Amino acid sequence: MLKKIEDLNYYELLEVSPRATSQEIHKAYERIRKIYDPNSIALYSLFSPDETEKIRQRVEEAYRTLIYEENRRMYDLSLRDYLDELPPQEQPPARPVSATPVQPSHPSSVPPASPPMPSPAAYAAPAPAAPAPVPPPPVAALPVQPPPQDIAEFSGTVLRMLREQRGMTIQNVADTTKLSARYLECIEEENFAKLPARPYLRGFLVNYAKALGYEPDRIAADFLKRYDAFKNPPKK
Amino acid sequence: MIELQEALRKKEIWAIGGGKGGIGKSLITGNIGITLARLKKKVLLVDADLGGANLHTTLGIGVPEMTLSDFLNRRVETIQEVIIKTAIPNLSLISGAQDFLDAANPNFAQKTRLLRHLETLDADYILLDLGAGTSFNILDFFLFSDHGILVVLPEPTAIENAYRFIKSAFYRRFKKVVTNQNVKDLIDAAMDQKNSMGIRTPVDLIERVKSMEKEVGEILELEVSTFRPKLIVNQVRTKNDVQIGFSMKSACQKYFGINLEYLGYVEYDDCVWQSIRSKRPLVIEYPYSRPARCIERVVHNLLRKEQMTLSMLY
Repeated sequence: MLKKIEDLNYYELLEVSPRATSQEIHKAYERIRKIYDPNSIALYSLFSPDETEKIRQRVEEAYRTLIYEENRRMYDLSLRDYLDELPPQEQPPARPVSATPVQPSHPSSVPPASPPMPSPAAYAAPAPAAPAPVPPPPVAALPVQPPPQDIAEFSGTVLRMLREQRGMTIQNVADTTKLSARYLECIEEENFAKLPARPYLRGFLVNYAKALGYEPDRIAADFLKRYDAFKNPPKK
Repeated sequence: MIELQEALRKKEIWAIGGGKGGIGKSLITGNIGITLARLKKKVLLVDADLGGANLHTTLGIGVPEMTLSDFLNRRVETIQEVIIKTAIPNLSLISGAQDFLDAANPNFAQKTRLLRHLETLDADYILLDLGAGTSFNILDFFLFSDHGILVVLPEPTAIENAYRFIKSAFYRRFKKVVTNQNVKDLIDAAMDQKNSMGIRTPVDLIERVKSMEKEVGEILELEVSTFRPKLIVNQVRTKNDVQIGFSMKSACQKYFGINLEYLGYVEYDDCVWQSIRSKRPLVIEYPYSRPARCIERVVHNLLRKEQMTLSMLY
């Protein structure tokens, strides 16, 4: 279907899939902004300076809308027809869907002004193609609560359990915390040798704990204790 | 079923053009041909640059005795007689016209005869090296081929001409599928960038055609989606130069609505002009040079029907 530039939606404008993560959107934005630079030699013979400027403005608008979860959710609602027509998600990139509009478990995140919601499945990513249900997206601003008291020590295994309980994948956590998935795996496997120096690790743990929705202090302290024990084994 | 037929279809015709002169069309054609021949494909190179043929030189062949003009002038009956075997196994050449002044502008009958004969030839790949400019003959060869490949340099002049070429090819294709004279006139008018009807882009044009005759507009829309020229950026010196391919792809998508496939780039290197000076093909004289490697990658993408992705850049 041919569309004028003015009629492209924000996803088409940034050349990303409507299921793109915020990281992908950011990357795409940087790329498109470079392409539509007023001095670009690949443009001037197609677009007049005015047109280029207009495209640039729209690209800015698109980025500012899509990069904030709340704005993006509202925007996705207005695009519902378009999103419904999407072909089913391809198999290999099992990327998390960070913009699924409604989370049944977090009803408070529904935009208050919107009309009564139809079933969330109506505009959630078409899941049937995936073998297992798509894990719920990471929610950036989970209310932080104290970690469960009945857990004696927060080891890597416990962290993994907590994460899996919340239905998050490593990739989800990596996306919200901006930590590399490899380090997160190392934390869970307690692969201490591969982890960075103590102060950095502490920062990682704090972020990880927050992503799981817990107050970080106890979790970080417990894990670091195990890390220290590995680094300085008790002398015989 | 259609896929099966496509896979079984033996011959593919690729045309290499680009609008501007001196951007390496012949060099790239010749070296793609050699690379394909080394992959045990039967390749025929046709120098369709009828006004300024020099594909034979990039292959290291002297001025050939038999050329395309002998065929066009009916000095020989079949096209087989003007095919020259090269020193490289599986690679043969039809050289461009050298002597015949009118050959640069073959008439319609000559052109169709040439294309008809090309189709009968036994080869896996026929590569047409097109001349510079956007004359109807060049555009017709480009549109006739299975894959139209554009070469650009990362320079404003070359890019300008490449867009001009895309636009001309595009509108010529439109005119071929349309029978209604009014629509044809409209397409002609739209070619003029400063037309009075406010038609700036192909999207505007299709909208206007649709308002005249809905069905014709829909046919044109279909044409847009099947027109997929390919792009090679030559003489790349920096990463920004590589990026230009992606920029052009994006701009074409947004302006023309067409899908330009970015096949790859060829790096700038002195060994290219050294190979031309010595009249020896690049991929034979400097097989491990960076440009030769780049050409291999382009061929790989062509055969696999793949294109450059952003992840290759970072």
